[in-house]
Formats: sequence, C-alpha cells, structure tokens
Amino acid sequence: MVASHPAGAEATEVATTPSREGPELFGIESPLGHIDYRAGRGLHLGATTLTIGGYTTADAERLEDGSSRGGLDVNFFLSADPVSFLHLFSEIEVGELVDWEGGGRPHVSPQLKVERMYGDASWSDGANLRFGKFLLPFGRWNQVLADPLLWTTSEPLIVEEVFHEEVTGAMLWGNVFPGGETLSYALYGSFLDRAVSEPEHDGVGARLEWTGRTGVSVGASYLASKRTDGAWNHLGGVDAFWQPHERVELSGEALVGEGAHADGGQWGLYAQAVVETIPTVYLVGRYERFNPPAGGRGIDLFDLGVTWVPTYYLRFKVDYRFADELDDLSAPGLRASFSVLF
Amino acid sequence: MGRRFLALVVVLVLVAPASRAEEPRRVAVIVHPTRQAELSPEMLTQIYLRRKRFWDDGTPIVPLNLEAGAALREVFSRVVLHQSEPRLAEYWNRQYFYGVLPPATLASTKAVLRYVAADPNAVGYLPAGEVDDTVRVVLRLD
Repeated sequence: MVASHPAGAEATEVATTPSREGPELFGIESPLGHIDYRAGRGLHLGATTLTIGGYTTADAERLEDGSSRGGLDVNFFLSADPVSFLHLFSEIEVGELVDWEGGGRPHVSPQLKVERMYGDASWSDGANLRFGKFLLPFGRWNQVLADPLLWTTSEPLIVEEVFHEEVTGAMLWGNVFPGGETLSYALYGSFLDRAVSEPEHDGVGARLEWTGRTGVSVGASYLASKRTDGAWNHLGGVDAFWQPHERVELSGEALVGEGAHADGGQWGLYAQAVVETIPTVYLVGRYERFNPPAGGRGIDLFDLGVTWVPTYYLRFKVDYRFADELDDLSAPGLRASFSVLF
Repeated sequence: MGRRFLALVVVLVLVAPASRAEEPRRVAVIVHPTRQAELSPEMLTQIYLRRKRFWDDGTPIVPLNLEAGAALREVFSRVVLHQSEPRLAEYWNRQYFYGVLPPATLASTKAVLRYVAADPNAVGYLPAGEVDDTVRVVLRLD
C-alpha cells in the first residue's frame, strides 16, 4: 500500500518501509511484494493492494418458548485501493454453514450471498461517490452489522424490522470539519434495486451526522421508499452516541415511519449502555420499545448481557432478552455467540 | 421496564473507575519541508482516524504511526486521539468493516523522520528533541 522511501545514504541503517497495523502472524516476500496476514486485519497481497479478511460467528439460542437453534456463518471481506482515489470493497456471506434446530442433528447447507459490493471514487474529503450495493445509512446500528462489532447477540427491532438493510444504487457522501469537528453527510438513491428484482426497495434518503471533539455524536436520517402499490413510505430517525468515560458507552436510536409496507404508522427506539466492569469484560444493557404498523401491539424488550473481548479480534457474548410477551417478534430467551474477526 | 433500565444506567456509571492521569511529553508533528499546510490538534485527530484523507491540494495524506506498545504512541493516542488503545482497536474494527485500515506503522522514530523527509504526503510524530532540518514541524504537543 505504501512504498518504501529511503532518504539518503543513512537510510540503509533504518528500515523505512511502513508495515500494516497489528501483529503479523504470517509474512513472506513474493513477486507481488510483501504478503502478510495480521490478526483481525486480513491477508494483504503486497502491491496488488488486495486485502482478504472477514469474520466468523458461531451462535446458539434457547428461547422461553422452548425452541432452540444454533449455527455458524462466515463473512469474507475483499478490499483494494488500486489508485489513491478509488476504494473497492465487497462482503460475501457464506450463511448457515452449519445449522441446527431443536434436538435435531446439525446440517450443512451453505448459502452464498453478496452482502455488499461497491466502489468509492473520492475527489476530496467532502466529495465521494459510492456505486453498487451497500448498507443503508439509516441510523447507527445498521452501519456496523457484524457480530464482532456489536455488544449483543440480537439486533434492536427497529433495525431488524423496519427497513431493508442494503441499498443497490449510488451515494454521494463526505466529511467536512467545521471548527475541527466532523460533519458527515450521505445522499443516496436505490434506483439499481430494479436490476436485482427488488422494486419494493426503490427509494431515496439522506443522513447527517455530527461528531464532536469529545466523542459525542448525533445523527439524523431520512428515507423515502416506494411501495409496490406506487405509494411512498416515509421514515425519519435520530440517533446518538456518547462516551462519558473511557469505560462507558451510551447509544440510542429512535425512528418514526408513515405509510409502512403494512398500513399505518410505526415508531420505536432503543437505548443501550455498555460498561467495562473489569478489563476486557463488558456489562451491556438495552431497552427497546417498538410499535409496529397496522395497529400491532407495542413491544417492550430488555436485554442484559456480558461481553468478553479478550483481544480486539475475539468476542464472546451471552445475553438474555426479557419481554412481557412470548410472540415471535419479542422472542425472549438466552442467546450466546462467539465471533472472530480475521 | 423503563425504570429498571434507568436504574441500571445509574449503577453502571457509578461503578466506573476514575480516569488515570498521564504524564505529558513533548511531541513534534512533522511533515515534508515542502508541505506548507498548518495542522491544528483537531485536524491531526481527523487525519489519524482517517476521516480526513486528503491534503488541501487533493493528494492523499499518509499518516504514520509507531508500533503498538511504543510509549510515545500511547501518549500520542491519549493527547491527540483522546482514546485508549483498546478503544481505538474498536474504532478500527468498525473501519475494517468498510475495508479501511489504520495508519501504517514504523518501528522507530528515526524511521519516521527518514520517511517523512522523503515523502511529501506523509505526516508523522516523534520526540521534539529528535527533529532535524530534513522535515518541518507543524505542531508541538505538550
């Protein structure tokens, strides 16, 4: 990625070839340049700029209704920066690599899915164009949809139920730095969804996010999407993230929607607190409220869990979801997972 | 349900320990002598978090870090990035999810000096006492 730049005759005494961050577990010189693997940061193929990495998650759950299941998924990342103004990225999921339900025997039924595939063309910090399939920039949680990055095994209902996770289209995005703080914007359209037979996901949207010097961050998102009957859904949301202390993280999101796929409006929110109680062990609590469309009953959920992060690329999670109903949406019970970023 | 959550937040905040104090050290932030840009501490933060990726003339910024565990890097992380190394690792995990990697590292401050002296796009840091006239100091951190 970065070439060696020896300066002067004394350069031979000091290695001036930068290395990638992280402990090198494997490294070899090749005609492609230095090929190395770093834990949690992928395999980098020298001068090709190609990096291959990803994550894997094994999870299991036993719910209060008596059901149980488990599985193993693997997601691969491929990224490359062939020139300084172009960044290519793809995430490919091999889902349900191993899967089991109830007392049944595990079965292997791998399913391949391209989760994301896009290119970013950059002219400056403030003007970048993303083209392809990418995560919908609505709210905060939906932009880090990977088990090794999350504190609980389950997603909040407002992330899981209300909008489609991905967009296939284009997005203009960028960062500006008023007063040394960060203002990020994104304007996107999902017009290419037609090409992948998902016309119900056609839509346009915008997101604005401000991150202060102290780490406080607030965001606002809007999405208008076309229903199959030609009418439009409108969804608006706000979100926030705050680290009042190095060991404390507070976050939350709220959204409200009109004209959802079913009739009527919907709204919901979640608030989450994470505290490092002893080094590498985090206590996590999350409250959720979700009022589904079509006059569905409002749901209150509370998740309480423990996450152990022995090192930055490993994550063990155990959490329990409490709910006042035993329906499929609430799904209270015990969940656990183990994730490796590779 | 709501009251239970509020009670949990209060308890969690109360059990969190107080911050540790850090001894300040004098750090010089350096660029190539031909690079006329001035950097504020806030802009340096954006560069090392790779939110700001381009110099004003449109060329890509090459930020250089020392290797993990280096004492000067820990000072730099706290003073400039305002985060501990584990918190930064969380941040870089989220960036890795988009194929964005942390700044490249060099094994010594001598190597940083040599590299920055040779690359007009680079920015690095080293103890103020090690600076010579092959680079330009754009910021001093106490």
